[in-house]
Amino acid sequence: MNKKLLSILGPVIIVALMIVFRYLFPNKITFLTEVGIFSIYVMGNNILMGYLGYTSFGQPFYLSVGAYSAAIFFAYFGGNIFLAIIVAIVVGLLLSLVLAPGLMRLKSSYFTLINAALCMIGVFIFERLLIDVTNGNDGLWFRGNMAATPLLDVRYPKNFFFFVLLILLIAFYLYQKMDKSAFGISMKATKANPEKMTFLGYNVFKIRSIGYAISIMMSTLAGSLYAINFGFVNPNLGENTRAIEVLLATLIGGVGSVFGPFFGALGFLGMKDIVSTFMTRWEFVVGVLTIIVLFKFNRGIWGLIEDGAGLVQRGRNKKTVKVGE
Amino acid sequence: MEIWITAIIYGLASSGILFLVSLALSIGYGLMRVVNMEAMVYYSFGAYVTYTIMSLTGSFILGALGGMLVGAGLGLLVETQLLRKIYNREMMFTMVVTFGVFMIGIGIIQFVWGLEPKPVASPISGIVKFFGGVQIPAYRLLIIVIAVIAYILIQLMMNKTIIGKALRAGIDNRENVEGLGVNINKIFTITFVVASAFAGLGGALNAPLVMVGPYMGFDMLLFAFITVILGGLGSIKGTMVAALILGQVINVGGTIWAPLATVGPFIVMFFTILIRPTGLFGKDI
Repeated sequence: MNKKLLSILGPVIIVALMIVFRYLFPNKITFLTEVGIFSIYVMGNNILMGYLGYTSFGQPFYLSVGAYSAAIFFAYFGGNIFLAIIVAIVVGLLLSLVLAPGLMRLKSSYFTLINAALCMIGVFIFERLLIDVTNGNDGLWFRGNMAATPLLDVRYPKNFFFFVLLILLIAFYLYQKMDKSAFGISMKATKANPEKMTFLGYNVFKIRSIGYAISIMMSTLAGSLYAINFGFVNPNLGENTRAIEVLLATLIGGVGSVFGPFFGALGFLGMKDIVSTFMTRWEFVVGVLTIIVLFKFNRGIWGLIEDGAGLVQRGRNKKTVKVGE
Repeated sequence: MEIWITAIIYGLASSGILFLVSLALSIGYGLMRVVNMEAMVYYSFGAYVTYTIMSLTGSFILGALGGMLVGAGLGLLVETQLLRKIYNREMMFTMVVTFGVFMIGIGIIQFVWGLEPKPVASPISGIVKFFGGVQIPAYRLLIIVIAVIAYILIQLMMNKTIIGKALRAGIDNRENVEGLGVNINKIFTITFVVASAFAGLGGALNAPLVMVGPYMGFDMLLFAFITVILGGLGSIKGTMVAALILGQVINVGGTIWAPLATVGPFIVMFFTILIRPTGLFGKDI
């Protein structure tokens, strides 16, 4: 009962908390918008890391593909924001169809490095090969080309915040559905023991490919939202050095959980926000934090919350037992 | 014509650096099943220590020795304090842990030496003239010679000494080797320290060729990984062959079209792995 209630109310509570924060700290709205977008990005990575057992050092590549498909759409084809987001998701799907047959046959460590290579190739493509389309390092500016949307004009940051929250809410419910479905469980089973899954008659390759496609589509969705948020994109978005951010956020939040990615995004960006006010370079802090999280809290923030909830529940049970006696 | 011969010899020098730096990764990754990304910290520290000693004493040889020693010391510290605890964990875990160590290393470099890149002067300024007007800086030739010596030494250590034999046996069956009275932890540590020293030496040798900056390890990390992956895990010979190939891709490719120098190695690795997922000389792990 409790769990069911949590699964229905959880996303609403999180979104409501975001709105409360938005009015408590009005000057933090860009930060909160970024938390929303980053959560979707981390959720995508969480599918690879938590459900399929693949660590990717190339998530920024998928993010930048999404951002660039939205940006190129705005710059050359039209101004409809919803269409741009759909274009980004479709491009993600096509990309995963092309890459999955090769990548999903690899062992985890090779997958990691192939993705790191993809990142490098991606930056090269956007910076040099398509320089006539993307303006290379100068970035592609398109804020003026975005058309107004009905009901809520998302071109303004304060409306875009609500738009991101709406997408986050939908993403949460779909993610939860995936987590509970037979598909979600079979993904986790392939992570635990692929040989046994093959033996049981499941097509491991197919399960992995679908999971990979969902992950890529979430990353490109987040990329398109980033592009709309900033109003321009440049190749830096896809740089290799940023790959650790999303991995760390996933770890901080708790790998393989539904709400972990949100807390990971919040925790990571919050920490970055706080540390960067008194330290321009924060690699040292990130490094120390990674090691502490890995060794001490390997179930992340969501694990801590669950443990806390478990303690409360146990305390309550004890009470009832005592009353019964 | 001269331009191609020059590119090929420059490529050999790049291969030398790549081989020295990748050795730590190759041994950690292929033999001990630990993805030691923090090897690039030894590389960066090697370069920085060379810079410091060279600006204090003016001697490059002292600097390179210092870089090697610091690399070895750091390797000893990290292996005994951290890696030993994670040998049996899954690869993903070791990868992220050592990446954390790598980040800490970058942070320490920023605190100690600051953000701006440091220049290191080339220790040998002579130019060797070959037939047909090919001119090669003597320093590049020195790098090739040192890399060849390093390859011979490490092969001798792995195949001829008791340490190498015990190491390979210990990887196959740890309990059995321990039962024979061999302290396998000590052997792991020795091998790791040797590999770290080579990474430090690689940093020291590369210092005059590149700008010594806090992020130099990042650039090298990917190239070193490509070398190890392309060569195949667990094979030092494979690492050497891959370093030779990549050195040519970087320099000859860069002569054909400049952007190939940065992106060429990635393209080579991408297609090699898709066609042959274990690398050129790798065994299936």
